[in-house]
Amino acid sequence: MMRKMPALLLLPLLLAACDGMPRDAGGTSERISRTGTMRVIVLPATPDAAPALDLLGRYAAAHGATVARVEAHGEHALHMLEEGDVDAVVGHFAKASPWKTEIALSKPLTHGEPDDADMPVLRIARRNGENALVLATDRMVAEARR
Amino acid sequence: MTVHGGIAPAIAADVRRGERLEWWTLFWMSSVIVLMWLTMGASQAMKSAVIEDFLSLVPAIVFLLAARWERRDPNRRFPFGYRRGNSLAFLIAATALLSVGAFLSYESITTLVRREHPTVGGVTLFGHTVWLGWLMIAALVYSIVPPIILGRIKQPVAERIKDKVLHTDALMQKADWQTGLAGIAGIVGIGLGWWWADATAALFIALSIVKDALGALDQAVAELLDGTPRKLASNDLSDDAEDLIATLKARYGDVSVRLRETGRYIDAEVDCPSPADVPTAADLMGDDAAWRLASLSFRPEPSDPPA
Repeated sequence: MMRKMPALLLLPLLLAACDGMPRDAGGTSERISRTGTMRVIVLPATPDAAPALDLLGRYAAAHGATVARVEAHGEHALHMLEEGDVDAVVGHFAKASPWKTEIALSKPLTHGEPDDADMPVLRIARRNGENALVLATDRMVAEARR
Repeated sequence: MTVHGGIAPAIAADVRRGERLEWWTLFWMSSVIVLMWLTMGASQAMKSAVIEDFLSLVPAIVFLLAARWERRDPNRRFPFGYRRGNSLAFLIAATALLSVGAFLSYESITTLVRREHPTVGGVTLFGHTVWLGWLMIAALVYSIVPPIILGRIKQPVAERIKDKVLHTDALMQKADWQTGLAGIAGIVGIGLGWWWADATAALFIALSIVKDALGALDQAVAELLDGTPRKLASNDLSDDAEDLIATLKARYGDVSVRLRETGRYIDAEVDCPSPADVPTAADLMGDDAAWRLASLSFRPEPSDPPA
């Protein structure tokens, strides 16, 4: 086993050298490019959703797509995200949200991270495992906060 | 050193070396745990690796405790001394190894059954947002270096001082670096969009850890039940025990000979009258391994039931 170590170490690094890491487990980015549509839910009572929609609009445009709003509320919206029926959900979420392991929450868009982890603030929720989309939108959120 | 207490001078230097190696293990593995903790994010694979590394401190800690106990002299409350502390430490170390294997198996199987898609997003450092996966891979690469080196240095020391705790700790280090490699494969898998890669790699490693742990547990139980001394790496009888039984039978005829292991030391019982010329440990075991034989008793009337 020990003699195989260098080869074993090299394999993941070689793979890691591949371009385009990370990719989406469910192929969301490719689908957005292919269909020209990014499906987004804005949760009701999110009056300050504009910065998030603007950010997602720029992401969609970079993939030759436009944002299409889907109407849903509450847990329906988050279940749709989990199932991949929509690509992002905009709403107010706490850092310690009970949904935090089921969906990938971004950093707050308009404030710094609140001291109170239970305080809901504007964030974008993405589907778990769609790591290309998650990283790209994380970058845009970081730029927007600068 | 007395019959039931203290460390034999022949192995004292190696035991001290083992203790130094375990202090180094605690130092390096703590640094690994801190680094992994900082980069783990929401990744289940990384979380498992951190817990694995945390549990991997157990054999090192119990080895250090057992070596301290071994040096204590027998007293009125513990007339046979504290050497069996090593056997107890071995049971604890084997149980820790089994817990690691069982925990990793459970985590991997539930991830696969629930089809959980791990999310690894971006982290902003010095104004640049990079994929957290790269930092995780860097932490995991660091995490496999100390256990590979320490595990290889410990193995021969464990063999020389017949220390099953140190041997189990070397197995634990093997589990550490293998989990680290599986973690790297898992993160690369996540990067390539293969959500199942991480858990599948972890499951194979976990099953091999469980197998090692069950073997160690078998030996630990045998030792606590006064079984004939076992080999370090398997449940077969150890070579020096088999040789000692043959030597004693050659000297005293076809009599019943019982050996048991207290920590790293062998106690022998022979069912025959005490000979006029009692052999020394070196006569029976050879000069190098003489320290292994802590006591030799002769029982003249084994057939009489106790009154």
